[in-house]
Amino acid sequence: MTTKQTCKEISRRDFLRLSAAAAGAAVFMGPASAVPLFAESDGAGNVDVNSLPATLFDVSRCVGCRSCEEACVLAKDRHPTAEDWEKLSANRYSFIDEVEVEPRPRWVQKQCMHCLEPACVAACTVGALKKTPEGVVVIDKAKCFGCRYCQYACPFNVPAYDWADPFGIVHKCDFCIENQRMGEPIACVAACPTGALDFGTRGEMLALAHNRIKANPRIYVDHVYGEFEVGGTRRLYISDVNMSMLGLRNLPHDAVPPKTEAVMGKTPVIAAGVAGVATAIYALVGRRNEKRSIDVEESQS
Amino acid sequence: MTSITLRERSRSAARTVLMELDATMILLFLVMSAGLFAGVWRLFTGLGASTNLNDGFGWGLWIGFDFSLIAFSGAGFTMAFVGHVLGLKRFHNAMRVGVLTGLLGYVGVLFLLILDLGRWDRFYSFMINWNIHSPLFEICWCVLLYSMVLMFENLPQVLEGIGRHKLAHVIHKALMPIVILGVTLSSLHQSTLGTLYLAMPHRLHAFWYTPLLPLQFFTSSIMVGLSVAVMAYLLATSIRKMDADAKVVNGLALGAAGAGLVYAALKIGDVIASGEIAAIMANEPMANLWKGEVLLGVIVPLILLLIPRLRRSQRNVVLATSLFALGVLFNRFNATLFAQRSPKGYDYVASSLEWVSTIGVLAGVALVWYLAVKYLPILQEKHTG
Repeated sequence: MTTKQTCKEISRRDFLRLSAAAAGAAVFMGPASAVPLFAESDGAGNVDVNSLPATLFDVSRCVGCRSCEEACVLAKDRHPTAEDWEKLSANRYSFIDEVEVEPRPRWVQKQCMHCLEPACVAACTVGALKKTPEGVVVIDKAKCFGCRYCQYACPFNVPAYDWADPFGIVHKCDFCIENQRMGEPIACVAACPTGALDFGTRGEMLALAHNRIKANPRIYVDHVYGEFEVGGTRRLYISDVNMSMLGLRNLPHDAVPPKTEAVMGKTPVIAAGVAGVATAIYALVGRRNEKRSIDVEESQS
Repeated sequence: MTSITLRERSRSAARTVLMELDATMILLFLVMSAGLFAGVWRLFTGLGASTNLNDGFGWGLWIGFDFSLIAFSGAGFTMAFVGHVLGLKRFHNAMRVGVLTGLLGYVGVLFLLILDLGRWDRFYSFMINWNIHSPLFEICWCVLLYSMVLMFENLPQVLEGIGRHKLAHVIHKALMPIVILGVTLSSLHQSTLGTLYLAMPHRLHAFWYTPLLPLQFFTSSIMVGLSVAVMAYLLATSIRKMDADAKVVNGLALGAAGAGLVYAALKIGDVIASGEIAAIMANEPMANLWKGEVLLGVIVPLILLLIPRLRRSQRNVVLATSLFALGVLFNRFNATLFAQRSPKGYDYVASSLEWVSTIGVLAGVALVWYLAVKYLPILQEKHTG
């Protein structure tokens, strides 16, 4: 009986020490939650997101020649099949969406929007999706393990999984980041023959968009799509018909990542809280219950 | 010396198993084998060839069952809490069944996750590539660590089964910090499964999307965890032809009802506060889906459990706990599939391979559970302190 009690005594002391250590570790881990989501721009606070690259797609100027589509496929060495027609896929990072509008159809380029606060980057289980210092959202193919959470986090349904590959990962437009770094034009913009696609800093593109709208208020809808949608994007659109008719969804202006971060940032606090409460319950209730049941057994035997 | 007795013991155990092969085992084994074949087929042919998943429906049957199974396996942490943290010795047997059910549930979860993962050969990626902002990153770690915790919590039972009573006793005594760790890891990832959906305000229907999702997922995991614990305990006692302790069944069912009350308040309170209740009253598909989920999966079982006269019948307790489980299954599938607004031009009906592999995984863990209940001292005739 006495040996049993000592054994119990030690384990209880060890246990309390361990839980104290756990609580300490949780507090120590606290600053980890302060790691900013997008360190290269918003976290530092001194990088002007509008000084970084963006495009402007002018729906009124696109004639649907699909040169940009072709240029993208060649630049990214993709091999689209008939199944990849008019949709984003692992074989097509950018496409021209034809929309029936009276009296003539419209064409809209669809690809990764390169959000200022990308939901996919916050969601990515393995941190394969990242924002580069240029503000471009890229995917590290060596990290992605194909969980496809990004497909659900993306407000634009952009990330595409390679369904044909037995060991598939997610693919998407990388804004021709390599070209950009070498000072070369990005594939789709370079291919556009009608001036529907412009490339520059986000500030320049916004100014261009608003100037065009101001110059031709009767042609353009007064809406620069991507200026504010889900916190802003680097692929901007202006159009002579309503954005919602073009499959450009009506989205709120607040970014997605803070919604999960509001909870994720509290992880250490929640962990310490639960461990603390459970320990307290054991110390106050559990030990007494255990003792009582042992007493009952002893009195029975 | 010991090794000889051990060998003899395992030999005689194997003989007993072979002698006592029954219809349940054979059936579960066959279904599991079919699932194994389907699963291996999928691993080497890829998701496109074996499933109906697509870029509009990246997640389907596997993830729906996966997230439900994680909630069901809440039987592990809730029962460890009841048995170890609250120290209620009366629930000792039910706790041992509960942590066994939890462990096997998580084993099933891991199998389904591997099936769903594109680069399943790179499953360890989350261990070396960290994104502490990602809900799924946290879930991966918690599921991994908690599975280990569950192995520890089941170790004494296994050691007793092979006659290592002293070692089992030592481990049992040292279990408390591990139990607290398990409760903490569970609270984290059960709620984070709700946080997961907070990244989808543009996809998940407003009736389901709410900042309360983490709390809803957490409380419902307690509700369904205790429900599964009740059903597992009743099933295990009937397999071992023992009497179930009516007070234990009653206590756990009441616990499930308590969590169910909080869950109901979080579900219904949320739609009242957001004003969505008016739209939910309409006769519209999404509204009916929500009403079906809450009425059948929360309200009806609550009535069955909270009215003492109804609760007295064990059949009603079984019905109520089954409805809680069905309600959570319904809820997780709604959140992953039915209440998701997917892009135009995509649809999804699970392929037969997805069904066969899912049912196969479930049959496999059910088989191991059945064997464990039958041949390991999970249930004890007399409680030993």
